[in-house]
Amino acid sequence: MNYRLCSIIALWGAAMAGHAQDFTLHAYADERLVAAPDDSSWTRGGFGKTRYGDGQTKFHFGGAAVYGAAQITPGLLALAQLQYQTSGHSGLSVLEAWVRYRPVSTTPWRWYVRAGAFFPPVSMENDGVGWTSPWTLSSSAINTWTGEELRAVGGEFALEHRGEANSWDLRAALFRRDDPSGTVLAERGWSIGDLVAGIGSRLREPDAVVSYEGGTLPRYYDPFRNIGSSHWGDYVALSWHAPGATRVSLMHYDNRADPGATAPYAGNDEQAAWRTRFWSAGARTETGAITWIAQAMDGDTTVEPVEGRYRLTRFRSAFVLAGWNRGAWRPALRVEHFSTRKPSSELFSHPGEHGNAVTAALNWRPRDYLRLTAEVLHIDSTSTLRAQYGLPAHVIDTQLQLSMRVLY
Amino acid sequence: MKRWGSRLLCVFVWGAAMAAQAGTLTVSAIDSHGHAVGDAVISIDRANPPAAASTHYVDQKAETFIPYVEVMHPGDSVVFRNSDNTRHHVYSFSPLAAFQFILSPGESSAPVLLDHTGIIAVGCNIHDRMIAYLVVTADQSQVTSKQGKARFDGLPPGRYTVRIWHPQLSPGHAPASVTVDVPAEGAAPALPFTLRLLPDPRGSADREQLDY
Repeated sequence: MNYRLCSIIALWGAAMAGHAQDFTLHAYADERLVAAPDDSSWTRGGFGKTRYGDGQTKFHFGGAAVYGAAQITPGLLALAQLQYQTSGHSGLSVLEAWVRYRPVSTTPWRWYVRAGAFFPPVSMENDGVGWTSPWTLSSSAINTWTGEELRAVGGEFALEHRGEANSWDLRAALFRRDDPSGTVLAERGWSIGDLVAGIGSRLREPDAVVSYEGGTLPRYYDPFRNIGSSHWGDYVALSWHAPGATRVSLMHYDNRADPGATAPYAGNDEQAAWRTRFWSAGARTETGAITWIAQAMDGDTTVEPVEGRYRLTRFRSAFVLAGWNRGAWRPALRVEHFSTRKPSSELFSHPGEHGNAVTAALNWRPRDYLRLTAEVLHIDSTSTLRAQYGLPAHVIDTQLQLSMRVLY
Repeated sequence: MKRWGSRLLCVFVWGAAMAAQAGTLTVSAIDSHGHAVGDAVISIDRANPPAAASTHYVDQKAETFIPYVEVMHPGDSVVFRNSDNTRHHVYSFSPLAAFQFILSPGESSAPVLLDHTGIIAVGCNIHDRMIAYLVVTADQSQVTSKQGKARFDGLPPGRYTVRIWHPQLSPGHAPASVTVDVPAEGAAPALPFTLRLLPDPRGSADREQLDY
């Protein structure tokens, strides 16, 4: 089904591009040397919080993506991003594909509508091709999860007011196919990496959880699907654009999934819907050559494994990133905190986790088409979830990466 | 014929006398890091000498408006030219002049007549990072060069109020101004302005950081 959807979107994109007068194409491919921590990564079915986790130092293919945007008419834009990954679930997937109609306005008010599959406007880091971050290799915990489980397949309406000093925009969206969002936070916890799920890819559940439930290993699930009766999720985001490069945004998301709904998926298991809601706030500004980004998220996700018995997981995270724009050199430092908590643990013993992480990256663009990055990611976390499965509760992971990224 | 000759001689003598009394005002603009600031508009409180209305051209190259800031006088017109190989949708929602033009590669807009003084922001509805400013003023004005310099020659001696405006100054504040005496001969001391600028909103097209 998903491959069919990918093919349809790709063909549609090619057809649109053929008719477009203006077509923009960008791409990247990444190869990296990684010194991975011992803690088994989530991509390998573990609880490790880093993308790589096998205790080895070796080369990895970091991923590749293609971005295409076609200005079909002056008001109509079609955009799609496809990626290829070999970590976790290998293969080609569609990160986003949408069309936007934004007519010109000769008043301070301007509006647009867009339809398709798109990222909810959570991230202030990931404005690079393939939804990468120009600041670090690994996205923050918030945006790692956004890349893994959040995608809106539906429509968005936005209204902007552009003032002399301040501008505002309000976005509201109705979407489907995001009913599993929250699964990974409740069952695995937060992670920090740059493995983005696309439509057509799969996320791996922790092997320990699958074995505990008597499932077949490895077990992957589709993060972008409908489960249960037909319904729409929604988000609303309000942003303030101050003079200069300052932007502040507040957003509320609710997938409005039925927490008691299930649907069959690979391995004849039942995939549950998770009712997930969160508030997200972010700010971005510049002081001299320093770009500051801060984001915070607070939400919960609920599943109803047995009728009338709800399992709630609260989740929180926040980070501050400082990036120093020094021409071809761009050092960046990010500190963050994350936690999950299960207030009522009488049904299962998954009380939660908490941790802190520091990411230091040095980016060098000796050529327009080349980015070299050295990154150290240090995560200190405590998880009673790990302890429940006989693993150490307190883990300190350090991951080193040297990346060479070719840009088109 | 003899009478015309004596009139020309009078005009020449008057002009030479004025030139002998004309002063020069030089202004420099730097930012808070000491770097030269181009595209700042320097105005003095003297009306621009009457002149025929002129047509100004704002080009679009590499998805950038060139120039970033254009000084015009009431009655002047502006034409937008697309030298890119992609379409642009030039527009303004300024109450002084609301307009919009879809410009294919190589195309130019119809002239837009600007009658009223003020600042008009211009954008592209396809490429949000493209911004330009038209400053329509009745005063004598210059735009600072890349070296942050502007120079007014041939000024009669007297006291002048000099104002400076830049697109990246915090909006809502009155333009900085100073008073300076221009001597009858020679140049007034160079007038320095130090500006605290907001980040450049135009950004730059980058194959890694996308703006969509």
